[in-house]
Amino acid sequence: MSLRDWARRYAALMRAGWLVDLQYRAAIVLWLILGVAQPLLMLAIWWGVAGTDEVQGYDRAAFARYFFALMFVDQLTLAWDVWYIDRWIREGEINFRLARPLNPIHEAIADNLAYKGKTGLAMAVVWLAVAAVWPAVRLPFEPGRWALAALAIALAAAIRFLTSYVTGLLAFWTTRATALYELHWGISLFLSGRIAPLSLLPPGVSAVAAVLWFPYMLAFPVEVLTGTVATTEELVRGFAWQLAWLALWSLAYRLVWRQGLKRYGAVGG
Amino acid sequence: MAAGIVAENLTKYYRVKVREPGLRGALRAVVRPHYREVRAVEGVSFRIEPGEVVGFLGPNGAGKTTTLKMLTGLLYPTSGRAEVAGFDPWTGGARFRSRFALVLGSKQQLIWDLPPEETFLLNRAIYGITEADYRRTLDELVELLRLENVLGKPVRQLSQGERMKCELAAALLHRPELLFLDEPTLGLDLAAQETIRGFVRDYNQRHGATVLLTSHYMADVTALAPRVLIINRGRLLYDGALAALAERIAPVKRIELVVGDGVTAEGLRRFGELRAFDPPRATLEVPRRQVAGVSARLLAELPIVDLSIHDPPIEEVIQRAFAGEAGALLAGGVEP
Repeated sequence: MSLRDWARRYAALMRAGWLVDLQYRAAIVLWLILGVAQPLLMLAIWWGVAGTDEVQGYDRAAFARYFFALMFVDQLTLAWDVWYIDRWIREGEINFRLARPLNPIHEAIADNLAYKGKTGLAMAVVWLAVAAVWPAVRLPFEPGRWALAALAIALAAAIRFLTSYVTGLLAFWTTRATALYELHWGISLFLSGRIAPLSLLPPGVSAVAAVLWFPYMLAFPVEVLTGTVATTEELVRGFAWQLAWLALWSLAYRLVWRQGLKRYGAVGG
Repeated sequence: MAAGIVAENLTKYYRVKVREPGLRGALRAVVRPHYREVRAVEGVSFRIEPGEVVGFLGPNGAGKTTTLKMLTGLLYPTSGRAEVAGFDPWTGGARFRSRFALVLGSKQQLIWDLPPEETFLLNRAIYGITEADYRRTLDELVELLRLENVLGKPVRQLSQGERMKCELAAALLHRPELLFLDEPTLGLDLAAQETIRGFVRDYNQRHGATVLLTSHYMADVTALAPRVLIINRGRLLYDGALAALAERIAPVKRIELVVGDGVTAEGLRRFGELRAFDPPRATLEVPRRQVAGVSARLLAELPIVDLSIHDPPIEEVIQRAFAGEAGALLAGGVEP
């Protein structure tokens, strides 16, 4: 397969993903609203807590920037794959996928690209519209920082995708794969920076979070985007952790996929 | 270029957890799980030549689908080996998977919310089919399967028959040399079944493709496959011509009669086994070798209005094989 063949494959997979999404316009709008609602709710709470003062260096405007960036990054790193993979495996939909000359992960990646291209754009438009009337959420014009943020978001999306996909593959062994992911989601609520910027967590908790993958799926790219993470040292450390966790989750994927196929081959669907 | 299939002693055992009903059973299953070994396929061997169409028959749970899944590399055998199109199915990779099509009647690959053509386009890209080949193959498939009016409709709005036809088209766009069809006519009406059969026959003749077809509709097999493999409880009971099977299991013929007044069941039983008597119609079963003599005697001794001679319906023959009546099949019944 040449690079061109792969480009064709991805184009076709993404096209199919787009067309299917078009059939579920209403559902997608609903998910988008949900995706916006949660960060806005957290913003409202922290807005109230901050009052006219600061909380650990965050004033109201900083909270607004943080949660707007979070909303945007969250949409771009969203991972729903566990539900799909779990169903493919439990209901035998994996069979025809395994009989095709294409690893099913490509279908999932293309689907992610297709979906995120669309919702990321929608979020950017919303953000721009709000920024036009509310200066607090405006980001300084720094193309270099944005490029770094784009890289951090891409790495975050890859890590988050793999956590979801690999957990889904556990359906080769258990019927509780999605429940496991719910648990993962519960933990990530605190450790990924979704409820509050990590620096606001108790020091012990944020120290634990800093060596796990959770913040690198969300908080880190958010802080690169808002400029909270600014020094070269912080950036290098953050990207290094991202790369390390990406490598580890890729390894986990390889392992689980190979063993899962063996297991599936041994016991069937 | 067509490709053949070799299976040697293919065996597949599963270990399944046995759970007793009720809460106590569920708890016990967690603490001390019990396993039962299921012998899905046992020592199945056969060879299918390139371009052959072979029917794979057996009741539910006989091991047909498990065998098909082993031959396509989805399942690993517990022991034994297979060679499909010159590949080991479990290590053949993408190159192997480009050579065959697997159609599972119970699971579809068509994208539910989109018209079938979208799945076709996707498969074109996945299999790396050139635009010219795609057009040519699609035109042919559309014509043979009469798909003109369904290409643009979302799959969810298609009838089951239309869906299966599109499913076949999607599976055949890359012109596979090997077709594994698992219950392709499941749940279809008679007309749709007939179209699918006609199409498979045609595809085999045009492209010399090897076809292994499972079904529990006898009509599929009698229409398509001169050779059948019969499997029950994981064991291969018979491998050979369908016609020879009837002779072997049921070496009898049926004489269908329309009789005149005064003929009784008692009177007919003198000539053979009376299978049905619903005056004026009657069905007698007699040994093959005696059929000519018995017919002559019937005509001479009774007021017969009409007489015709048939083989017993193949369904019954197969049922007997499944029921294990044909002990002879097990004892060296598999033809080399």
